[in-house]
Amino acid sequence: MSYFLGADVGSVSTNLVLIDADNKVKEALYLRTKGQPMQAIQKGIKMLRTRIGLKAQIMGVGTTGSARQLAATLLGADVIKNEITAHAVAASRLYPQVRTILEIGGQDSKIIILRDGIVVDFAMNTVCAAGTGSFLDQQAARLGLPIGEFASLAVKADNPVRIAGRCSVFAESDMIHKQQLGHSLPDIVAGLCQAMVRNYLNNIGKNKRILGPILFQGGVAANPGIHRAFENELGQEITIPEHFSVMGALGAAYLAQEKVGLTAKPTHFRGLEMAESSFQAGSFDCSGCANNCEIIRIKQNEEILAQWGDRCGKWSGNIGKEEDNKAAGHK
Amino acid sequence: MKIGFPRALYYFDYYPFWAGFFYNLDIELVTSEPTHRGIMESGLKMAHDETCLPVKLLAGHINSLKDVDYIFLPRMVSVEEKTYLCPKFLGIPESVSAAVDGDIPVITVTINWREGQNQVLKALEAFGLKLGKGKAMIRNAFQEALKWQTMYGELRRSGEDFEESLDLCEKSFTILPRETSLKLAKTNQYKVCENREPRPGIALVGHAYLVNERYANLDLVNKLRANVDLKLIEETETKAVENSLKGLRKKMFWSQAKKILGAGYSYVDDETVDGVIYLSCFGCGMDSVSQDMLARRARKAHKPYMVITLDEHSGEAGLVTRIEAFVDMIVRRIENESNLSAYGKCLDNN
Repeated sequence: MSYFLGADVGSVSTNLVLIDADNKVKEALYLRTKGQPMQAIQKGIKMLRTRIGLKAQIMGVGTTGSARQLAATLLGADVIKNEITAHAVAASRLYPQVRTILEIGGQDSKIIILRDGIVVDFAMNTVCAAGTGSFLDQQAARLGLPIGEFASLAVKADNPVRIAGRCSVFAESDMIHKQQLGHSLPDIVAGLCQAMVRNYLNNIGKNKRILGPILFQGGVAANPGIHRAFENELGQEITIPEHFSVMGALGAAYLAQEKVGLTAKPTHFRGLEMAESSFQAGSFDCSGCANNCEIIRIKQNEEILAQWGDRCGKWSGNIGKEEDNKAAGHK
Repeated sequence: MKIGFPRALYYFDYYPFWAGFFYNLDIELVTSEPTHRGIMESGLKMAHDETCLPVKLLAGHINSLKDVDYIFLPRMVSVEEKTYLCPKFLGIPESVSAAVDGDIPVITVTINWREGQNQVLKALEAFGLKLGKGKAMIRNAFQEALKWQTMYGELRRSGEDFEESLDLCEKSFTILPRETSLKLAKTNQYKVCENREPRPGIALVGHAYLVNERYANLDLVNKLRANVDLKLIEETETKAVENSLKGLRKKMFWSQAKKILGAGYSYVDDETVDGVIYLSCFGCGMDSVSQDMLARRARKAHKPYMVITLDEHSGEAGLVTRIEAFVDMIVRRIENESNLSAYGKCLDNN
């Protein structure tokens, strides 16, 4: 069998998706990145290999997510795309009619507006992580609940309390205050969901025409409290796609298929054996000028696979054997 | 006598004027180095926390000026009739020099074109006299300075890069004959290879001290130029700016906002521009108004529009993701437009 692989390596989760020749999702993995993207990718490939066998052929690889460059280096990607395009491609392939995508992930949230299957507008949160998955994670941890249980609590609420959602720091103190007053836990969690949704629509959704059909995807779509709060706020039904948590990876797989199909070139994929290779990641401060850029270097044995982080291109343009670099006068 | 000029804030708009002025007064002007990590970090440490990034950078640049007799911080109140500059510009000699403690004395002069050219000249005369220069010399220096500034504007409108323009402008008044440098500008102009496939046209609007500040904006201009045909406000004629603002109920109060919004409006109506990017930074009062006004106009015209907000810890990844997604969106839109004839109609109905 032959497949296309899509990898979405984000701050919180590392997702891998395999699609087969009929565009069907063969395998979908959702792993926690736990701050170690390289290990997470290798672990994911190992798991995929045991499921599809070594004979399976990977025809093309696409990567996306905030660690897309790192993932591309490790896997040998044919296409590297930003998350917005990847999410939009996956959504419009599965639901050609979709006009709005709400996406909330670990560290970022976005809204994508499509018309006739084409992205016409989008917005992403700024540096602030208020109203993203990692905030929900934190709050669940503070209450000592697994995130799954935390999410289902909201549905049991009778009378959600009002919580300030503008900033997650204020939201937290508001929650503690409400809790000390004696409000029930489900009411507080439901209030938090509503506050997050309000904040999302006021910030990310500002100046956007949110028209149905609407898709809600990203890891946070697993939270029924948020789903319900969105439906109440927008006054219409919101669909959660079957593979909501891995839509970015799915989009990357579709993009790889598009690219490889168009150019008919062999894939750059390093092979399923890459799960066993040892990669070394390191960083150092370049002392070439006053900028002191932090350079990240990925090595496999003695070979430098990739370097980035420099502003001038002195390092990123220079990959290959370390010996050659020394000869060229670099460190 | 050596006077230090920080490479920040008004440097990006009005340096040619001051360079010309001091050159003709026979005073050596020393600019600080281009921004690097050290300058940015010292600026962040010293400047007031609530202020905007460009002012913080200014503090860093002032701090980095060594071995000069004075530091020059003009008080630029207004540069043309009926408008003001940002209120932060007005208080700079006090607010920033309070933040940066050093032994080098600060000198300043108030520039207010609202009061007319005579008043500006009067202020400069008083300033020059203090530096020990004669009135005739100061008058001549003022006239020359205006020529420098005009020349710089012309170079920018011809499509020349910021740094190149400053360099050529200076040379044309100091070493090269004027005609030679103008010719140079034309050969240096940024051009797209002709055999390349058509690239999307994108306009980048924003304050000069953000758009031209390569370190703080993570070299946004060159990142964009690698993929798109870029248009900048400096290349837009003043007439076009004023024409496109005619429909406003009230005149724009700030000169920078007037430029940004006027150029922005003209890009929204320009068919060769496929999308507009507004580069802003946290804490900018002016942008909070013009950004939204431009967003509304762009939305009405269905022109793709995006705001990029800079701050001191802008990660490159976030910036690259946004640019890529924006360019992708436009490219996919253009590709689709040629396949679907009913596209425009559908869009308007939604």
